[in-house]
Amino acid sequence: MTALGETARIALAAARELADGESCFVGIGIPSDAALLARRSHAPRLGLIYESGVFGADPPGPPLSTGSPEVAAGAAMIADGLTAFGELQAGRISCALLSAAQVDRFGNLNSTVLGPYEAPKLRMVGSGGAHDIACLARRLIVVMPHDPRRFVERVDFATSPGAAPRDTARRRALGLGPGPSVLITGRGRFEMTADGWRLAATLPGFSAADALEGLPWGTPPGPVPGVAFDAAALSALAALPHLHEPSPAP
Amino acid sequence: MVRDHVRPGQTLFLGGFGHAVPFALGQEIVRQGIGGLTLCRSGADILFDQMIAAGVVRRVIFGYVGNPGVGLGHAFRRAVAAGTLELEEWTNFAMILRLHAGRLGVPFLPARILGIGDQTPATAAAARIACPYTGTELTAIPALVPDVALIHAQQADDEGNVQLWGVDGDTVEGALASERILVTVERIVPAATLRAAPERTRLPAHRVTAVAEVPWGAHPSWVDGAYGRDDAHYRDYDAVSRDPATLDRWLDDWVRSGGGARCTDLLTDDDLAALRTALGGAS
Repeated sequence: MTALGETARIALAAARELADGESCFVGIGIPSDAALLARRSHAPRLGLIYESGVFGADPPGPPLSTGSPEVAAGAAMIADGLTAFGELQAGRISCALLSAAQVDRFGNLNSTVLGPYEAPKLRMVGSGGAHDIACLARRLIVVMPHDPRRFVERVDFATSPGAAPRDTARRRALGLGPGPSVLITGRGRFEMTADGWRLAATLPGFSAADALEGLPWGTPPGPVPGVAFDAAALSALAALPHLHEPSPAP
Repeated sequence: MVRDHVRPGQTLFLGGFGHAVPFALGQEIVRQGIGGLTLCRSGADILFDQMIAAGVVRRVIFGYVGNPGVGLGHAFRRAVAAGTLELEEWTNFAMILRLHAGRLGVPFLPARILGIGDQTPATAAAARIACPYTGTELTAIPALVPDVALIHAQQADDEGNVQLWGVDGDTVEGALASERILVTVERIVPAATLRAAPERTRLPAHRVTAVAEVPWGAHPSWVDGAYGRDDAHYRDYDAVSRDPATLDRWLDDWVRSGGGARCTDLLTDDDLAALRTALGGAS
């Protein structure tokens, strides 16, 4: 089991969060891989939605861009970005998957800058649709490779807002979704609590200590169970075109 | 077309959300050295980065600038670090709404985003409003009306009706938000061909300023039904753009010496044949 690559482990664990018949707003990389894996295993009617306006996608290979031919090929519908984000804002898409360069205790995600905004140590790509997804998704799952530099107490820039208690009240007032509820790393599954992320389960081959290694948060009050990947999911994984490798932390 | 219709200092919308990115048009602007430009769109790929590297861009209005699925926009990153590029940073949904408001001829559209999380100077300046019916707090996303839209599409007739199908993103949104629309197409077709499938026409002739036939005008992006995406080119760009001197030599080869449609001179016949039959291509 430990022979599985990190992207494969995250995709397997995140796919378990998605139910058949759901609609899922996904970005490129592990989010797309995980949703596709779910669709090819236990959730054959999972609707993959990309911000480029593609609905019901079933990529024959790993796309580089949400506007790539792999996203369009064999899709159920090609509309436009207004339609995709409009459906999301109206609350008519059931869940979303996001990744980022940094995640903090309350699930704020950073894809904008490392360091201060006006004088960044590293300027990154910016929100794209990430802020919009984190605000509007009815249910949000975060996926991140286990790289301690990515897990921080407070992100340098909260591109995509999280679920701190004061943010939860603000979210209700603005008619937004609840924010991130589950974090899947390469080693564990975390759930959001009033105190932030808390380890809820470990992935096969990893202990709780492994899953918490280098993280500034996440310690559970007691022992946690292990996640088991079932045979159907593993065989669906083997049949998938090659997965996105995690990019190194900037 | 570019010489007649693009002026220094204008605000340009660049079409193409991963699909049908107007590389030939953008690279022609670089060749003519039309500078001081503001570029805008939601998710921008390496055409933005190339134009920034070439020094023709003063300001970007954007939701994302990078090399999708590959990494960062290195010229963009360096220009931000050097302080030579002004940023007006939104999100993709916000940019789509800005263009949609421009297209509708209204000053703003309300939305639920941008009321929580860290804000950029641009999004922090967006007005907070109360819904006149329910009192709910919303963000007033201001309209954006670019001077000129650069669009690549499959085909047009000689009247200037433009047919574009496949992945859109915010391409039609941005074109119809703009004052003028410049279009390159894979082919000019007879009016009867176009009129046999009018549902594919997305830009009507009276809104289109000029059309030019430029086959391969979206390479290295793709054109549904014509050629697939040259993912290897995007990966190569990541390598060459990490170093400014290397990127400058690359711009000489791929942009300044011809560029755009001239990719057919730089790619082998085998490359072109492979792209033509790649996923998304002519099949």
